[in-house]
Amino acid sequence: MNTKQNPKAPEVIETPTPPAAAESGIPESAIPDLRTPHTVGNGMSKKEAMQIRMQNMSRKEIFYLRKKRLVENIWPVFRFLILFGLGFVILTPLIFMVSYGFRSASDMNDPTIIWIPRHVSLKVMKETIQAMGLLRSPLNRGNPLVNTILINLGCSVFQVLSCAVTGYGFARFQFKGKKLLFGIVILMILVPVQVISIPLYMTFKNFFFGTVNLIDSYAVMYLPAMTANGIRAGLMIFIFRQFFRGLPKELEDAAYLDGCGPLGTFLRVMAPNAASAFLTVFLFSIVWYWNDFYTSSVFFSNTKTMALVLKNLDAAINIEIFKNANANVSAREKIVWLEAGCLISITPMLILYACLQKHFTEGIERSGLVG
Amino acid sequence: MAESSISKPRKLRNQTHRLSYERRKALYGYGFLALWLVGTILFFLIPLGKSLCYCFMDNNSLKPDVGGMREAWLSISDFGWLANFRYVFVQDPYYKQHLISVLKDTLLTTPLILIFSLFIAVILNQKFKGRGFARAVFFLPVIIATGPVYNIINGDIAATGADSGAQFSTLFETDIVDELLEFLGVMNISDNLSSVINTVTTNIFGLVWNSGIQILIFLAALQNIPPSAKEAASMEGATAWEYFWKITLPYVSPMILANFIYTIIDAFTAADNSVMARVLSKQLDWDYAYAAAMVWSYFLIVILALAITVGIINRYIFYEVD
Repeated sequence: MNTKQNPKAPEVIETPTPPAAAESGIPESAIPDLRTPHTVGNGMSKKEAMQIRMQNMSRKEIFYLRKKRLVENIWPVFRFLILFGLGFVILTPLIFMVSYGFRSASDMNDPTIIWIPRHVSLKVMKETIQAMGLLRSPLNRGNPLVNTILINLGCSVFQVLSCAVTGYGFARFQFKGKKLLFGIVILMILVPVQVISIPLYMTFKNFFFGTVNLIDSYAVMYLPAMTANGIRAGLMIFIFRQFFRGLPKELEDAAYLDGCGPLGTFLRVMAPNAASAFLTVFLFSIVWYWNDFYTSSVFFSNTKTMALVLKNLDAAINIEIFKNANANVSAREKIVWLEAGCLISITPMLILYACLQKHFTEGIERSGLVG
Repeated sequence: MAESSISKPRKLRNQTHRLSYERRKALYGYGFLALWLVGTILFFLIPLGKSLCYCFMDNNSLKPDVGGMREAWLSISDFGWLANFRYVFVQDPYYKQHLISVLKDTLLTTPLILIFSLFIAVILNQKFKGRGFARAVFFLPVIIATGPVYNIINGDIAATGADSGAQFSTLFETDIVDELLEFLGVMNISDNLSSVINTVTTNIFGLVWNSGIQILIFLAALQNIPPSAKEAASMEGATAWEYFWKITLPYVSPMILANFIYTIIDAFTAADNSVMARVLSKQLDWDYAYAAAMVWSYFLIVILALAITVGIINRYIFYEVD
């Protein structure tokens, strides 16, 4: 039905003039052609012009226009409702985090309090910071925040660089076994870390033929990151490969002709062009390293990271706040400290996100992952 | 004589030169990959092979003693080498259950996530006031959902707590869908249907949390639709509905496949799904062989399922040929 009628509708809209011209009744042949559009547009308001147009339309066309206008008017309202509702769903936990983090624990036993705390206090926040050990000295890897930042920044930088080099190699060079090697990259994306974690533990424990024990040192994070094998490295190699494949080949050829070697071409010509891809991958890398707790829980025992601390916050609260490892505290009260811990641990990411939101969301579009 | 002796070497030199240039480029290719190759062999391929070997080793021999692992193979005779898999599928009380529930959940929620994220992406691609803010909110889960924060806000804190923490989930929850369905009488048609509906509805707001990246990818794909297609459609007077089905969907379809794969891999490898949790608990009990057998059979099943579904979906995808 619709498809048959639609192509007609605009045609009619574009040529509403002949009857209007006939009514004006000017006999000269040259002038009316020029004047009629003006009389329709100039003399009347938009509404009147529309009414005149409508006179010449069939009922079907009028129905089509009405429906279109109705949809155009109603849709924004629906859109707002949908976005507002779902946005609220997403923001609920964050609002709760703030609400729980800044109230006193006794407020949890008051059923009349849901959102707005009655006793606003910083006590819970301070206790949580204490329990998470964020105030400890950074010597001997004692401070989780310092640990995390060191691991996070270092690994992200190394990983982005190594993955970019690898991705470029896959994108621009032809050599034997390329398909096989790229198959390994796909395998890296598919295989969950859990599959290889235990043998990997053994590898690190007896590193370099059993001479060095790397467990619990930063090297367990740095080494894979340096060799493009860190957290979700497969995905990053893939993104870089797609991106470099999308860059024009002439760029490279020009560099080669001017006497630049492949490495020089990569560093001086390709890498500067890939700045947006670098930033996007770097940001995601930071987020993934920040949130990772599985890898660090396997390889670290004394070195704590933010994610690990948060994972074990339940026990830490018992020891630090209730001074009893087996304290029998109801979850209803404990949730206050847990939520405060959440708030503390995501705040840096939220700040980063707020500042660089554009690069998070638009980087992927530019990185050539799509298309 | 003289001519041929001149032309011959030149031709030869030409050939060798081109060959060596290609070979040199190939060598540079290996050079670019060298770092990754070393790392992959050390930190990926060897551990991968080892964990595959663990599947066929005696479980007790892998428990670390004072002297480290002994690493004894299972006997080959009489299907003895399948002992770990037999244990995992026959004796382990939880594994099969978890496996089925994870497969079922994933297959049910993946289409929902795809539909939902495409819908949101289409909305976020329209022009309206506050679009930047709306986008920022919808991508927020990308930052949070991969971390342990998600476990806590999900109420998944009872592991060491005194009583169940599920009631303290701060995720937005409501029974309204269930109640609506009950009101309509859909709920009581059959138990199977009810349980299917239940898995979907209990997690309906989890979808929002698990579709950040998917929305991002769809949005990027939407912005790659050529303006000419849109123009043509509006000239022909296509309604928004027709535009979606005839223009948007075909152009986005390759990304539907990409998102499908991403969603499935993400769901299967999430550390908080019950099979992975079971594997972890086995690893903590030092049952490495059983854990390896579990994780490998799980992995193979997932890959198989993925291959089949991708094969089916691939037939319905529109690839633009320039």
